[in-house]
Amino acid sequence: MNLVGLAWRNIWRRKRRTAITAVSIGFGVFLAVTFSGVGDYSYTNMINASADMGLGHITIEALDYNQSPAPDKNIDQVATIQQSLQRIPGVENSYARILGQGMFASAHKSVGGAFLAIDPNSETSKHNLFLCSLEEGALFDANSRGVIVGRGMAKKLKLRLGKKLVYTTTDKNGEIVSEIARVSGIFSTGVKAVDGAFVLLPINSVRRTVGYSKNEASLVAVMIKDQRYTTQVLASVRQQLAQIDPSSKQIEILSWRETQSEVAGLISLDRSSNYISQVLIGLLIAAGILNTLLMSVLERTREFGVMMALGMAPHTLFFLVIIESVCLAFLGLGFGVLLTTPWYFYLNRVGIDMSGAMGGDYTAGGVLIDPVLKLYLYPETIAAILFAVFLLTLLSGLYPAWKAGRTPPVESLKAM
Amino acid sequence: MLKGFFLSQFVLADEIAGTTQRASAILRQIDDLWRGNSSHSQFSMKIKTAHYTRTLALEGWSLGTQKTLVRILSPKKEQGVSSLKSGKHLYTYLPRTDRTIRLTSSMMMGSWMGSHFTNDDLVQESRREEDYDIDISFEGERDGQGIIEFTLMPKEDAAVVWGKVQLVVLAESLLPVKEVYYDEDLKQARTMLFSELKILGGKIRPATMRVVPSDKPEEYTEITYQLLELDIPLADSFFSINQLKHR
Amino acid sequence: MKIILLAPRNLIRSWQRSLVTTLAMGFAGVIMILFGSLMDGMLQASERSATMMNTGELQLHAKSYLDDPDLYTVITNEAALLEKLSAAGVSASPRLFSFALAAAGTSSAGVQLRGITPSLEAQVTEIHKHLSQGHWLEEADAKGVVLGRKLARSLNINLGDEVILLGQSSDGAMANDIFQVRGILKAVGDNIDRAGFFMLSTSFRELMVVNEGVHEIAMKRKDSSETLAATQQRVQDIAVSYEVKDWRSLMPVIARVLELADAQTMIMLSITYVAVGMVILNAMLMSVFERIREFGIMKALGVNPWQIVQLIFAEAMLQAFVASLFALVVGAGLALRLQERGIDFSNMLSATSFAGIALEPIWYARVSFNSLVLPIVFLFLMTLLAVIYPAIKAAVIKPVDAIHHY
Repeated sequence: MNLVGLAWRNIWRRKRRTAITAVSIGFGVFLAVTFSGVGDYSYTNMINASADMGLGHITIEALDYNQSPAPDKNIDQVATIQQSLQRIPGVENSYARILGQGMFASAHKSVGGAFLAIDPNSETSKHNLFLCSLEEGALFDANSRGVIVGRGMAKKLKLRLGKKLVYTTTDKNGEIVSEIARVSGIFSTGVKAVDGAFVLLPINSVRRTVGYSKNEASLVAVMIKDQRYTTQVLASVRQQLAQIDPSSKQIEILSWRETQSEVAGLISLDRSSNYISQVLIGLLIAAGILNTLLMSVLERTREFGVMMALGMAPHTLFFLVIIESVCLAFLGLGFGVLLTTPWYFYLNRVGIDMSGAMGGDYTAGGVLIDPVLKLYLYPETIAAILFAVFLLTLLSGLYPAWKAGRTPPVESLKAM
Repeated sequence: MLKGFFLSQFVLADEIAGTTQRASAILRQIDDLWRGNSSHSQFSMKIKTAHYTRTLALEGWSLGTQKTLVRILSPKKEQGVSSLKSGKHLYTYLPRTDRTIRLTSSMMMGSWMGSHFTNDDLVQESRREEDYDIDISFEGERDGQGIIEFTLMPKEDAAVVWGKVQLVVLAESLLPVKEVYYDEDLKQARTMLFSELKILGGKIRPATMRVVPSDKPEEYTEITYQLLELDIPLADSFFSINQLKHR
Repeated sequence: MKIILLAPRNLIRSWQRSLVTTLAMGFAGVIMILFGSLMDGMLQASERSATMMNTGELQLHAKSYLDDPDLYTVITNEAALLEKLSAAGVSASPRLFSFALAAAGTSSAGVQLRGITPSLEAQVTEIHKHLSQGHWLEEADAKGVVLGRKLARSLNINLGDEVILLGQSSDGAMANDIFQVRGILKAVGDNIDRAGFFMLSTSFRELMVVNEGVHEIAMKRKDSSETLAATQQRVQDIAVSYEVKDWRSLMPVIARVLELADAQTMIMLSITYVAVGMVILNAMLMSVFERIREFGIMKALGVNPWQIVQLIFAEAMLQAFVASLFALVVGAGLALRLQERGIDFSNMLSATSFAGIALEPIWYARVSFNSLVLPIVFLFLMTLLAVIYPAIKAAVIKPVDAIHHY
């Protein structure tokens, strides 16, 4: 006898019940997609945005620089490092940068802050949040004495495009050095702390100022094509760079999890609460499915008894119910996909603008947050959701199926 | 500038080259007038701000342009506090805690001993001939005195915040009268006034310098020399961190 | 026949079916209670960590202080003010601030001096509980200081070490003294982590020559049932010439993040409720429709439709009642346990801070009246709604159709 056909017919004997069950499974898919999608999207965004603030997904820097940065903790052989990085699959780009603290002064005032020295020939707004939020002016030339300042600092120091800014910092020997720069651009990220205290400088001029050679920098920021593979790429970067001349300075290779631990902490906290919510809702839906299947087995006790009396083996009954639950699972998944696809594509393309609820300063842990809530799912997350919902349904079917297989023929006939 | 004053080399100590030959020549004369290889001085510093007025008595030593040591004699509470400039480093010795602290770049814009000078003013080399194009912008009678007015325009690459500096000296004696600092929009930012001519270190010099920030004209810091000795024997080791403690 | 007697008998007769339905509903109730308590706990924790670490619920400043913090911009006559505040039911902690250079060994760093009175500060914030090493300030220990986590690291300093402060006192003199590190804080927010340098306000006054006045008074309601706005108004009436701000306007970003989290929580909660509704609907629909034949026979035996509706509702309510009991016992039990013990994430993350508020790696539930009662009310409401349709159907069905229904 065709068990699948029988099971299919069985589940349609109670159309309403099947429909409700399928809807609740579909709803489960919907919820899982929404929760995971918000997570995948916002975590990816936060991680990429924090990487774009200067340190990259992976940072190659001098030993202990992360714990206590100082101008004499620098790396050398930058060109060699960058060349070998190019060969690593998964690496999108790498940038040599100098990071430092300093005083920034105009004739009016001076403020403390930090600078990020970049190579204008290789940097674009793609991996540089400051360039991305440039409001006025343009990126400086490689050999100029340009500087891009934040809107807040420009206000405090009364700077405009073309005006002078003198910065004072400590060079690699601990000497205090001053240099002049002219404002070539003004950025505005919307974050007060960043706009008021951060500047971009051309790396060549900063190298001269702090006494670094052409091949030295504070760090090499590595951008990864897909941040999910940070761990794997980190491993291959470590392996690759271990082959570089051991006589060079001791380096440390860290991922964003170490260099931006606040962001990492926030994400894992959010992720864990997300997991718990999903588990609870999953349990709820499983309870619903279990309820349906158990009821359908209970009400068919007589029928199963008859079938057994007619010579059907208990394990066949067991499989019949299992197949029924599989059919339900497929129905539910199909419905879920129908329900979720338009929702997903709407939120993926358009999103919900939460800026009304958030106001002007979209940061958490110092990282900018996109005020538009969007969904994005990685293919494996989709697979995981579908598989999990399927498995949930199947597991919920186990107990009812076991119960069906145990129906004693005589007793159930009595139940007539 | 401040350092120049302590060194008794004044503003123009190192100013040699200028765009205009004549301006440079005059500045060189002024330079000669004030030059000393080493110095020892006693001076007072009066600081008036919206919140306090205080007067310090200080003693200073210098050797060349790289080494300067200044010590507070009074008030009692701060007696012994010393600043040592050695090259581009600035150290502060605190007798109360018996510690010497090296100032980092982030402290450079902080006030030096509560005055209108920043720590940076003390450390900056007066490399005027490197930093500025020098020109004579006025020469003749002003307020009944024969004066020469120099205009110093910062060079394109010079690490100075000012947009322009004007220096007025007496035409006859080449003694400074006034120095005005302008911002990039050529608005006044601060003014230094020199007064009280008297014999110091064997020559007539202005004994008092007053600095007035233009945005707070009621505030000032005024330095007055009581004693100045030039070209005295001083060893390099005098300006060490150890000496800072023991003096 | 008495419906009150018939309903339980019916339920007991088909006990397996009743049990399955009731358990499904009860389980849904448990999930709602757990979820509600966990979300409540999370919201409360984040709001508490926003206010209890440093900010307090309200702050008082001299008018221009927040825009331009200055050693000389003070709240004067603070003793009288503190007395009035206390009488008005507000715990208040006066604070003094200044910038200075801290040096230890060869390292130095710019710090924010924070002069406080430990006994008063403890009434407003809980920072004294957030030390990673050593102990908090003590009134008798004038030279003891407590440092932020990152500051201690960048000064390369340990417990018991000496640290030198160099600043400019209010009279323009060079303020300097040696202090001993008594404690190092946990992560409590970036500002304090990087630059927080806590000392006794008496030591602060001596060092910085600030004889009177304070820069800030942080406050907390003694009775949190009063609205913050009302307290704020009362404080404003007491301190007319000063500026009173609540923590939301002092930390707008955090307030907004919390509001957003609040909204998200409500969405999650309502989603859970929808899911619960579906489970109940399904269970009730099934348990009624399965017995439609039985109801048909009852009608054939002369039971009127109204009685059938009553019977179905009585059965449903009875099941909802048992399910609620189950949900309350199991759900509240679990939630209370989570209130005590919390869910520990510390293997996933260490104590951290974001946007200036500290996050604890342990998630505590919070069992409140709402988190217990709302799920139960919802359970009953949903059960009622779920049986309306099948009850009417059962009531109006023709006995003949009912017998053929299956």
